[in-house]
Amino acid sequence: MSRLTEIETMIGRVALGDRAAFGALYDATSAKLFGICLRVLDNRAEAEDALQEVFVKVWHNAGRYQVNGLSPMTWLITIARNHAIDRLRMRRKSERRAGGDMNAVAEMADSAPGPEARAVAASENARIGRCLTELDPDRAEAVRGAYLAGESYAELATRFGVPLNTMRTWLRRSLMRLKECLTR
Amino acid sequence: MTGAGDHHDDDSALAAEHVLGLLEGDELARAEKRLESDTAYRALHADWTEELSAIADGIAPETPPARVRRAIDRRLFGARREGLLRRLGLWPALGAAALAAGSYAVVTNLDMLRPDPAGPGLRAEIAAEDRSLVVQVAYDPAAPDALRVSRPSGEAAPGRSLELWLIAGEAAPISLGLLPDDREGRLTVPEELRPLLPQAVLAVSDEPAGGSPEAGPTGPVVAAGPVTTL
Repeated sequence: MSRLTEIETMIGRVALGDRAAFGALYDATSAKLFGICLRVLDNRAEAEDALQEVFVKVWHNAGRYQVNGLSPMTWLITIARNHAIDRLRMRRKSERRAGGDMNAVAEMADSAPGPEARAVAASENARIGRCLTELDPDRAEAVRGAYLAGESYAELATRFGVPLNTMRTWLRRSLMRLKECLTR
Repeated sequence: MTGAGDHHDDDSALAAEHVLGLLEGDELARAEKRLESDTAYRALHADWTEELSAIADGIAPETPPARVRRAIDRRLFGARREGLLRRLGLWPALGAAALAAGSYAVVTNLDMLRPDPAGPGLRAEIAAEDRSLVVQVAYDPAAPDALRVSRPSGEAAPGRSLELWLIAGEAAPISLGLLPDDREGRLTVPEELRPLLPQAVLAVSDEPAGGSPEAGPTGPVVAAGPVTTL
C-alpha cells in the first residue's frame, strides 16, 4: 500500500471516529503540517496552537474528505495552510490597529519570502516549482506571497510598488501562464 | 481563442485567485456560492488547490513538541468520557464526586498492567461502582471473531437481559449482543466493528428480556469501561 493510500485509509477511519487511526495520521503527517504552520506564521508558539486547531478540524471534518476529490495530502496541507493564513491575517490586522500602517507594512515585508525561501522553492520537485521559475521572479514571488504569507492584492501592490489594478492584472496573467505551463 | 475559451480562462484565473485567498467582499461571496452549485467551477478550484499545494512541498517537515498532541487529545477526548457517561445515563450511578476527583470509579485498570498469559490483545473491565456487576472482556487479534466475556459477579434481574454496547468516539452505541448467561462465554464481533475496538468504551445496559427493542440502549447503563491495549 502506498503512503498516500495509507493516509487516505487513515482519514477514512478517522471519519468513523477511530482514535487509533487519528493517532497514526498524526504520526504520519504532523511534522509536515507543523512545518507549514511554522513557515507561514514564523512563530513557534503560534504554530503549535495552529497545529492543534488543524488536527481538531481534521477530526471533525474527516467525513467530508471523500467528497472533495483532493488527494489526501493536499486536503491536509490545505487545511493547515488556510488555517495558518487566517491566523496570520488576524495578527496583521491587530498589529495594524495597534501600531499604525507603516509598522504593519514593514512587518509584512519582513515576513515575505526572501532569498532563502526562493532557494527552498528552487528545490521543489513539483511541476509548480518548475513552472514558477518560468515566470518573472517578481511574479512568482507574488504567487508564493499569496500562498505562503496570505498577502492580499493591496499588500502585494504595496510591496511591488504598483497600483492595485495593475497588480491584479499582472497576477491574473501570471496565473494563466502558470496554468499553461502546468497543463503542458 | 474562442469566447468560450476566454470564459474558461476567466473562471480558471478566478478559481486560482480564490484558492490563493485573493478574493474579497462580494466577489468572494459569489465565488463561494459557485463552489457549492457549479460543478465546473468546483473542478477548477480543486485543480488549483492541488497544483498550488505543491508550493508547500519545499517546506521542510519539523516534528512538533509532544505537548501539542497532548493538548489535542485533551481537547478532543478528555472531556468526552464525562459527556458520554452523562449521555448514557451513567452519571447518577457514578456520583459526581468520583468524577470530579478524576478517579472514574467504575474503571479498574490495575490488573491491565500485569502481563496477560493470553498474549497481546485488548482488554476491558466493565464494572458497576459498587462492583455488584463486573464483566471482563478480552479480545485476541489471533482469534478475531470473538470477544471472551467473563462475569465474576452480578447477573441480570429476573425477566431482564444485560446487553453489551460498543461506543466509538461520538458515535451512537452499537450493540455487541446480550451478555452470555454463563459466567464464561463468547460474543461474536462483526468484522466492521473490529477496527473500532482499540479506542472504544464498552458499556452494559439493563434491558428487557431478549435485549433492547431499539437501535440503542433503552434501560439504564449499569457499568462501563474503556478498552485497554495490553
